[in-house]
Amino acid sequence: MKKFVSRREILGLIAKAGASGAVLQASNALGIVPDSYVDIPKIPPADPSNRPSVVVLGAGVAGLTAALELKKAGYSVVVLEAAGRAGGRNMTVRHGDLIDEVGNPQICDFDDEPHMYFNAGPARIPSSHRNVLHYCKELGVELEFFINENKETYIQDDAMLDGKPIKNREFTTNARGFMAEIMAKNFTNAELDQPFDQWEVEALMRALRRMGDLDEDMLYKGSTRGGYSHGGFLEHGHAHEAVALRDLLKTDLFSMALSQNEGETGPMLFQPVGGMDQIIKGYLRKLPDEVFYNVMVTSVMLQNDGIEVVYEHKGIKYKIEADYCFNSIPTHLMTGIDNNFSADYKEAMAYPRRGEAYKSAFQAKERFWEKDDIFGGISWTNQPIEQIWYPPHGMYKEKGIILSAYNYGGGMHFTQLTQEERIETAIRQGEKVHPNYRNLVEKGITIAWHRMNHMLGCSARWQKSRSGFTQEEERLFQTLRQPAGNRHYTIGDQITKHTAWQESAILSAHWAINDMLARKSGGAMPGQRV
Amino acid sequence: MRNIRLLTAIALTASIAGLSSFSAYAQQYAAVDTTNQPLSNEVCATCHGGEGQGNPVVGGPSLAGLEPWYLRKQLENFRAGIRGSQKDYIPGNEMQASVARLSDAEIDDLVNTIAGWKVIENDHTIEGDLSNGESLYANCAACHGADGEGNEALGAPGLVGRNDWYMFRQIKLFKSGYRGVHPDDTAGKLMRPSTQALKSDQDVNDVLAYINSLDR
Ligand SMILES: Cc1cc2nc3c(=O)[nH]c(=O)nc-3n(C[C@H](O)[C@H](O)[C@H](O)COP(=O)(O)OP(=O)(O)OC[C@H]3O[C@@H](n4cnc5c(N)ncnc54)[C@H](O)[C@@H]3O)c2cc1C
Ligand code: HEC
Ligand code: HEC
Repeated sequence: MKKFVSRREILGLIAKAGASGAVLQASNALGIVPDSYVDIPKIPPADPSNRPSVVVLGAGVAGLTAALELKKAGYSVVVLEAAGRAGGRNMTVRHGDLIDEVGNPQICDFDDEPHMYFNAGPARIPSSHRNVLHYCKELGVELEFFINENKETYIQDDAMLDGKPIKNREFTTNARGFMAEIMAKNFTNAELDQPFDQWEVEALMRALRRMGDLDEDMLYKGSTRGGYSHGGFLEHGHAHEAVALRDLLKTDLFSMALSQNEGETGPMLFQPVGGMDQIIKGYLRKLPDEVFYNVMVTSVMLQNDGIEVVYEHKGIKYKIEADYCFNSIPTHLMTGIDNNFSADYKEAMAYPRRGEAYKSAFQAKERFWEKDDIFGGISWTNQPIEQIWYPPHGMYKEKGIILSAYNYGGGMHFTQLTQEERIETAIRQGEKVHPNYRNLVEKGITIAWHRMNHMLGCSARWQKSRSGFTQEEERLFQTLRQPAGNRHYTIGDQITKHTAWQESAILSAHWAINDMLARKSGGAMPGQRV
Repeated sequence: MRNIRLLTAIALTASIAGLSSFSAYAQQYAAVDTTNQPLSNEVCATCHGGEGQGNPVVGGPSLAGLEPWYLRKQLENFRAGIRGSQKDYIPGNEMQASVARLSDAEIDDLVNTIAGWKVIENDHTIEGDLSNGESLYANCAACHGADGEGNEALGAPGLVGRNDWYMFRQIKLFKSGYRGVHPDDTAGKLMRPSTQALKSDQDVNDVLAYINSLDR
C-alpha cells in the first residue's frame, strides 16, 4: 500500500523547499567549471654549449611538469625531493608502502594485487582538465572511467528515517517527485502574469510529469523509479512506498543529493588504470636521472645572477647553484626554510592556511557492495566519515579497496585520533550504512594530510571568506606569483585560484615557464602579468 | 651560464630522524621489512624549519640553542601527554603526536644532535614599549635571570634568542590554562602564576620586546 502524502503537507513545506533551492543555487555557483585549454609553453631550444640550469624543488605534478618541459628544450634540470618517493600529494598506496605521517607512520598491508590500491590524494580526473589528459596521452598513461555518481549507493543521516540508510535512487526519485508537484502547482499562478501559450504550458506540464513521475492530477504518489520492493521480472513489480518530503528534508544531504555531481565532480570522470601515480611514473620515465630523493631543501638564496639552494641528505649538507629555481614546496613549509626573499614575498608565503583533508580505506574481504547492486560511486552520510567510495575497477574480483572516510573540508576530527581510534570510528560509522561492515573490512589505513611529512596540509587555503578573494588577498597572491629576483618562481596548485586540482598544478608550471621566457627575451611588459 | 654543480658537503650533522623514526617503525611493524622504505628524514625539521630555526606558520619554534636539560624535559612532557594533549590546541597536539612514540634512547640522540645545531639569529616580530617591558620583567628575573639567561635549578629556560611569536603564544597558553596545569607539570605550575602580572596583550608585547633587547 502506498502511503498518501497530503497536499497540505506539501504546501506547508514549500517554504522549506524554496530555502533548499537557494542553497542549491549557491552551491552550484561554487562548483563552476573553470575554463582550461592546452597551450604547452613553446620554449626555444637551449644552446647545447651553454645550457641554462634550473633547480626544481619538489617532485609533485607541478615540479615534474616544469622539469619535463624544460628538459625537452635542452635545459639542465635537477629536481630535489624531500620524500623518498615522487608524486607529492599524488599518492597511491599499495602493499608494503609507507604512509609517512609524522608520529603515525603506517605500512600498508593490503594484498599484493594490481587492483588493490588506494588513491590517498587525487583520485578523479574531470574531462574538462585537458592538461592532465594531455600529459596522460603524452606519457602513455592508460585511462579508464571513474564512476563518481551512482544512484545505487546510499544516503544516511541519523536525523532521517530513524538513521536507516536509503538508496540514493529512492531518495532522489521522491525528492524530484515532490519538487515537480510543487512546481506544477505554482505554475498555475505564474501563468497569470506570464504570457505562455497553451503549447508551452502543456510542454512544461509534460516535462514536470515526467521529471517527477506524477499522476494525471499532477500529484506525486510514489514511483517505481525508486526501485521495487519485490517482483519486477517474473511477477509484477511493487514500488517502494513513497517517503514523505518532510522526512527527506530532515537531512542536510537533501540539497547535496540534488546539486552535487556536476562539472568537476560529475557522474563520469576518469582515473588512470592501476592508480593515480601512473601519471607520476609516466613523468619519471622521461626524467630518469633528474630526480633526487630524500633531499630536504633547507635554504634558498637569491644571488645576483642566479640562485643558491642548500639541501640535506643523510645528515650532510650540499649546495647547488642554478640560473632559475621553480619551487613547489608548500608555502607554509617555505616559511621555515632559510631564504633572503623580500619582506613582501615572505608575508605572502605566510598567508595561505593549511587544509585538513582526511581519507581512510579498508581492504574488503569480499566485494559486498556488488551484492547490493553497487558498482562504483559514493554513499553519503552526515557522520564525520561523510563518504564511502566503492572502487569502479576490479569488478567481481574476490576483494577490493573501499574508501571508508573522506572529509575534505575539515578532517581535524579524525586527525586528532590515534590510529586505533580512527579505524574503530570508521567501522562504527560505516556500520550505519552497511550492516555487518565490521566483519567485512580489515587492514585499515588512514591519511591525515595535515600531518603528512613534507606536506602538512591538503591544499593552500587563500580565502578567509567564502565570498571570494579580498583585495588584500589578491595583493598577496599577485606578489607571490611574480618571480622573486626574476629567478625564483613559486609553483604548484598553491599559486592558482583553483587549488586542490592537478590541472592547476600543471597550469602553474606553464605560467611560470612562459613568464620566465617573456622576461628572458626582454619581452616583459611593463606592470605585472595577471 | 652555469651548469648545475653539486658542491661538496659544507656541514656535517648526524641524521636525527634517521635514528628516531627507524626504531619507531621497527617497533610497530616488526613483521614488515622496512629496509627499502624511505624514512621520515628530518622529521623535526618539517615543522621546526630546515635549520631548526622555527616556522611561524606551522608554529614549531626554534630548537637550536635550547638548553639540553630543558629540551629533554619538554620532549618527555610531550611524550607523556603532560604538555600538548588538549585536543582543541592543535599545534600542541601536533607536536605531542610527533614524539609520542620516542624511546629514551631516541630522546638522548635528539638532545645530543640538537645541541650541535648552529644557533640562527631569529627575526624580531614584536614591537613594544621597552620601559614598561623592563619593569614587567622584574616579575620574571627571579627565575629566568636578570639577563634572561635561565636557571636550571628552577627549571626555567633561557628566554633570549627564542622566537618572540612563540613566547607570546606560550604566555597566553600559561594564562589560559593550556600549559602549567597538569598535575605532573611541576615546572609549568611554577611558571603559571607569574603570567598574571601581564594584564594585557600589550603587556606581553612589552615584556617580549624587552627580552628581545637583551643580548644572548
Ligand atoms: C585528499 C586530496 C584529494 C585530492 N583530489 C584530487 C582529485 O581528485 N583530482 C585532482 O586533480 N586533484 C586532487 N587533489 C589535488 C592534487 O593532489 C594537487 O593539486 C596536486 O597533486 C598538487 O601538486 P603540486 O606539485 O602543486 O604539489 P605537491 O604534490 O604537494 O608537491 C610538493 C612537493 O614538495 C616536496 N617538498 C616539501 N618540502 C620539501 C623540501 N624542504 N625540500 C624538497 N622538497 C620538498 C613534497 O614532498 C612534495 O613532493 C587532491 C588532493 C588531496 C590532498
Ligand atoms: C607536526 C609538526 C611537528 C613536528 C614533526 C615536531 N614538532 Fe616540535 N613542536 C611543534 C609545535 C607546533 C610546537 C609548539 C607547541 C606549542 O605551541 O605548545 C613544538 C614544540 C616543541 C618543543 C618545545 C620547545 C620549547 O621551547 O618549549 C620542543 C623541544 C620540540 N617541539 C622538539 C621537537 C623535536 C625534537 C622534534 C622531532 C623529533 C619535533 N619537535 C617534531 C611541531 C612539531
Ligand atoms: C617562579 C619562577 C618563574 C617566574 C617568576 C617566571 N617564569 Fe617563566 N618559566 C618558568 C619555568 C620553570 C618554565 C618552564 C616550564 C616548563 O618546563 O614547561 C618557564 C617557562 C617560560 C616560558 C616558555 C619557554 C618555552 O620555551 O616554551 C616563557 C615564554 C616564560 N617562562 C616567560 C616568562 C615571563 C615573561 C615571565 C615574567 C612575566 C616569567 N616567565 C616568569 C619559571 C618562571
